[in-house]
Amino acid sequence: MKVTVDHDLCEGNMKCQAAAPEVFEVRDDDLAYVLVDEVPDELRTNVENAVRLCPRQAVRWQKEQK
Amino acid sequence: MTQLSLSPNDIDLTDPEIFETNQAHEVFRMLRREAPVHWNAENEVMRGFWNVTKYADVIAISRNPELYISSHGITQMEPVIKNPMDEVMQGFGKMLITTDPPRHVRLRRLVNKGFTPRAVGAMEIHIRDIVTRILDDIEKKPGVDFVTEVAALLPLAVICEMMGCPRSDWNLMFDLTNKVLGGGDPEYQTDVPEAERGTVEAARQTITSGSMQMFQYWANFIQAHRKDWKDDLVGLLIEAELDGDKLNDEDILWFAFLLIVAGNETTRNAISGGMLALHENPAEKQKVLDNPALLSSTAVEEILRWTSPVAHMARVATRDTELRGQQIKEGQRVVMWYGSVNRDEDVFADPYRFDVTRAPNDHLAFGIGEHFCLGAGFARLELKVIFEELFRRFPDIHVDGDVQRLRSTFIGGIKHLPVTYTSA
Repeated sequence: MKVTVDHDLCEGNMKCQAAAPEVFEVRDDDLAYVLVDEVPDELRTNVENAVRLCPRQAVRWQKEQK
Repeated sequence: MTQLSLSPNDIDLTDPEIFETNQAHEVFRMLRREAPVHWNAENEVMRGFWNVTKYADVIAISRNPELYISSHGITQMEPVIKNPMDEVMQGFGKMLITTDPPRHVRLRRLVNKGFTPRAVGAMEIHIRDIVTRILDDIEKKPGVDFVTEVAALLPLAVICEMMGCPRSDWNLMFDLTNKVLGGGDPEYQTDVPEAERGTVEAARQTITSGSMQMFQYWANFIQAHRKDWKDDLVGLLIEAELDGDKLNDEDILWFAFLLIVAGNETTRNAISGGMLALHENPAEKQKVLDNPALLSSTAVEEILRWTSPVAHMARVATRDTELRGQQIKEGQRVVMWYGSVNRDEDVFADPYRFDVTRAPNDHLAFGIGEHFCLGAGFARLELKVIFEELFRRFPDIHVDGDVQRLRSTFIGGIKHLPVTYTSA
């Protein structure tokens, strides 16, 4: 599974980085970046929390593409 | 005080007395159990709407800003007798808070870099200076009204400085904000003859006159700024471009109106409500005194959950839909009660306990999603700094007299909170 951050919405609230620091990094431009291509299974719950807790709901699972 | 009936059929959450007398949480507890998506029947003044009291349902609404829009009103108030002025006065579709995506996203991006936790964090020293001045002024007095002499002054100073509003006008901004957001309370209906205060009409008049004076002030301010540009938030908005166009005066006016009003009333009530909660729970206050670091980790979040200063926000459904089995019709209002969702038994363990070490604490005091409070970072920092300084200098500060709550269904407000203290 892939996860994305919508930079139109992201306001650097750091919730995703706190939930899954291996996957998200908030940089000096106050935007969160995804560090991995695929989310490893063992981090799935943490990323789920990031999706749930993002105040702007900017973190989303990428829909499966055929 | 009227004895409240605790049956969903009799509940009318347009009645400000429920909030003024601090009975809302009992009503919410019953609604969450008996009727979590509850139809609030039309009365002689306001149209009916849905009361939404569960956490999961507020998340579902907030995540769906295309289905549940903000541009047709964000409060429960939809008068039975339509007056075109009401829509104008409530800034339907004109303020950031009443704008829907996709325009909302672009409008918000004009200012949001100044509100990120990082940007706000850089202002901590300055905010501490403001707090120090406020506390210096009360130090020699035996006691004060905590609301007007402490809690109100910090957020007012911070937002006014950001906007470029001179100190000589801060009192005016305080008074006008009270009229705009607290116009339903007789104390602020000073433009209405005394015998007529307390009526729905008096509230309407007060909100209208407060808003008109606020518009006039900021219209003049923007005019002056266009001639003599300054580097503040209004200056930034004058320079800003949205899709290649500059903002017009009306856009900037509504921006200024929203920022001033939202920036000073809400944090004021979180500070006052936090003071009251800490006083009423002395063991929790002691924990903060013993370990002030709790403020940055958990205590400020608990104050926010506990006080939920914005009592509600509303949305309007753009098509027929369903929520927790209830059929929501196109054009109907859903009213999200933040004070209720922040005590939802499904989400918070022992929700009626004020616990300064509570974790996790994923409260929705700032909302969530598209319209998540722009000023959340400021509110958090202001709360942290003011309680750090307050407890350092006056550790024995306590409430000493009657609490007077705001007569409002929209703002969970405290008007007066007498406190006494001695210097450490």
